Amino acid sequence: MRILATFEKQERLRHIGHLDIMRAMQRALRRSGLPVSYSKGFNPHILLTFASALSVGAASTCEIMEVSLDEPVEPGVFMARMNEALPPEMQLTGARAVDERRPAAMALVRAARYDIRLPEDATRTLGAAIPGFLAQAEIITDRKTKSGVKPCDIRPLIHALEMRENHLLAELALTETLSCKPAMLLTALCAFTGIPEPRAMVTRTRLLGETEAGAIVPLEEL
Amino acid sequence: MQLFDEKIEAMLEQVQKAPRYTGGEMNAVRKDWDSVALHYGFCFPDTYEVGMSHLGMKILYGLVNREPDQLCERFFMPWTDMKALMEQENVPLFSTESRRPMADFDLLGFTLQYEMSYTNILAMLKLGRVPLHREERRRDDPVVVAGGPCAFNPEPLADFIDAFMIGDGEEVTLQLTAAVRDWKPTGAPREVLLRTLAAIPGVYVPAFYDVAYNADGTVASVTPNDPAAPAAVKKCVVTDLDSAYYPREFPVPYTEVVFDRIMLEIMRGCTRGCRFCQAGMLYRPVRERSLETLRSLARDLEKATGYEEISLSSLSSGDYSCLPELIRALMKDLEKERVSISLPSLRIDSVLKESLEETQKVRKTSLTFAPEAGTQRLRDVINKGVTEADLMEKVTDAFSSGWSAVKLYFMIGLPTETDEDLDGIADLAAKVVRCYFSVPKEKRAKGLRVTVSTSSFVPKPVTPFQWEPQDTLEELKRKQAYLKEKLRAVKGVNFNYHTPELSFLEACFSRGDRRLGRVLEAAVNRGCILDGWSDLFSFENWMAAFADAGLDPAWYAYRRRGEDEVMPWEHIDSGITRRFLRHELEKAQRAETTRDCRHGCNGCGLNQWKGVCAYANPGHV
Ligand code: SF4
Repeated sequence: MRILATFEKQERLRHIGHLDIMRAMQRALRRSGLPVSYSKGFNPHILLTFASALSVGAASTCEIMEVSLDEPVEPGVFMARMNEALPPEMQLTGARAVDERRPAAMALVRAARYDIRLPEDATRTLGAAIPGFLAQAEIITDRKTKSGVKPCDIRPLIHALEMRENHLLAELALTETLSCKPAMLLTALCAFTGIPEPRAMVTRTRLLGETEAGAIVPLEEL
Repeated sequence: MQLFDEKIEAMLEQVQKAPRYTGGEMNAVRKDWDSVALHYGFCFPDTYEVGMSHLGMKILYGLVNREPDQLCERFFMPWTDMKALMEQENVPLFSTESRRPMADFDLLGFTLQYEMSYTNILAMLKLGRVPLHREERRRDDPVVVAGGPCAFNPEPLADFIDAFMIGDGEEVTLQLTAAVRDWKPTGAPREVLLRTLAAIPGVYVPAFYDVAYNADGTVASVTPNDPAAPAAVKKCVVTDLDSAYYPREFPVPYTEVVFDRIMLEIMRGCTRGCRFCQAGMLYRPVRERSLETLRSLARDLEKATGYEEISLSSLSSGDYSCLPELIRALMKDLEKERVSISLPSLRIDSVLKESLEETQKVRKTSLTFAPEAGTQRLRDVINKGVTEADLMEKVTDAFSSGWSAVKLYFMIGLPTETDEDLDGIADLAAKVVRCYFSVPKEKRAKGLRVTVSTSSFVPKPVTPFQWEPQDTLEELKRKQAYLKEKLRAVKGVNFNYHTPELSFLEACFSRGDRRLGRVLEAAVNRGCILDGWSDLFSFENWMAAFADAGLDPAWYAYRRRGEDEVMPWEHIDSGITRRFLRHELEKAQRAETTRDCRHGCNGCGLNQWKGVCAYANPGHV
């Protein structure tokens, strides 16, 4: 059977990289004693996938993983056993069975919401600049890729943006081919506003997917 | 939220490898600070990756945290970028778990694994705002203790450490923590506590000993100046290792560390009696854990950590009395969990063929052999009871069972060594290569890799060579160049060697006296930290530090000690007698070997300690 689970990565763990979090999750699966499936072949590994890699430095309340089990397990039992095997900063917040024929969550992600906590002094200026920032026809900023830094237009990738108290709330495109990282958004917004980039605490709060009808919904509900 | 938390968060965004400092690992302790009476800071004077690979840390961490009224948190040496930020931002060294400043802890315990970490201890105390000199510490300052193999010559650190734990730490640590816990609320001065500590067997309190020197600079005497202090401090020995505490869980790092696996200490001590090997003398007698205990530990540790690999650890795992049975049992117990088993310190003369074949089913790593010297004569001098025929047999076995990578460890600068012995190293390497090609092509694995690795010999306290001079730096370098040239002629062999300057400094500190504390201080002030990392090591700064202190390093490293010279560690009783060591030195000079004492007691001195060594013959003198 396949289980889809949501989990959080609290601020304390925000500097732990994607691969290290993956490995920690694999070890937790081993500790849990749950009947996890392994790949076949010479170097068997646990069949575990994450919907999306989270940048180093960011926390999250909504990461999504999928894991295959050799025997059926009640999702509630799965969650309880995993939470005993996981540190308090990396607990599961939900689990459910999904159809094995369904495409992997990884393939269904379309966007993500972020909560970017900013120092008080930067919020007023940045908040006031948002309407003008979004009114631009294009927003060119640097994208770091494996082959170097490339300019790219992130305007179409910003689905929503608002300042609430000292939190910049953003919904940004996130697909395998096109995505905007919160750091890119912040760089562009600060450049537009003409202030130095402040320290920011990024938390991913939602991964979003698309229904067959084209509606954008939380990925775990798909 | 701690006082410095926001600042720490800001610093973590700027440093390399922030996970070194963030904690939050599985099985890390999360005790409420105010719920316990004693706060113990376990301090590893090197980076997180090195410290988290250390078995002693895992044992002590579990041991102290098992006590309901005590907690143990970890401290590591921050990397230079973090250290600079901490100084700039005025943030004191903080614990990995609760981010408490070092000075908030009641007791700080450093582990002394290698001499080149000494300056890190000083740097950590400074960063932690703990008064550096024990004499400056007031009642509310932490009590600073240290233990580990280097504690057998504690003198270079005697100015900075309140008390040393000599020998096995499992039992004495809790006596120490209890003493501090009980003293804390009494309001009695520090000296009262130090007296209590000095009365615990195995605890050395340097404040209670005076050192006198001769006109030539050698030590004249080390004498107690307080009735609480024994004339000699006897090391602690856990006689029954099987019932001694061993953790059934330990923190699992998120990032990769040096030894990222379950470490199962199958035995302690070694009976081989290699004459250069300090651990072989210090950890005597040999004690084993039972098969049943090890199986139960392995099962629990697998469940608690989720690791996929177990390494059997000890000085000489091949000597474990039922190794093949153990490996078979562990493989069977953990087959379903897909755990692989590795043996880190293979000895080439252990009966391992069967075990080799079994481990291979699971994992094939590079095989390591340590002949240590290139000729039979020199191997006899150092009592490395290994012959060329042994080596060839084991290497052939390894090659025909599918290994293709072999590492050979040697030491250069051993007592009595000549260029002929260096030729012998090149010769052995060539024979190993030939041995590979003599295995039929269809039976051997592709991609032969032979690595010859040399370290420079460092004479160590409590070994038969403790009287011997070290080769000069020039001579060590000449020998390295000579060997490099010889090995160039052998195809398929890689050669690498340790920095001889580091070995030179090790030689100074391993047998150094109390005056070297001044050098350590000067060195830290000159920025000598994290010297185990070659890119940070500056020999010039070290030489300047010796000059600052008015001491000559050559005098410490190159001087042959007189037969009756008082050693700076004379008041630390390892159980191994001077007489035995001297006798061994004389045999070495005649290239005479000494048998493995499992086959008959050699009278190392521990045989006079009642009920300590299972193989002892008390009558042997
Ligand atoms: S007492 Fe005898 S048997 Fe025991 S370690 Fe010493 S020499 Fe070996």
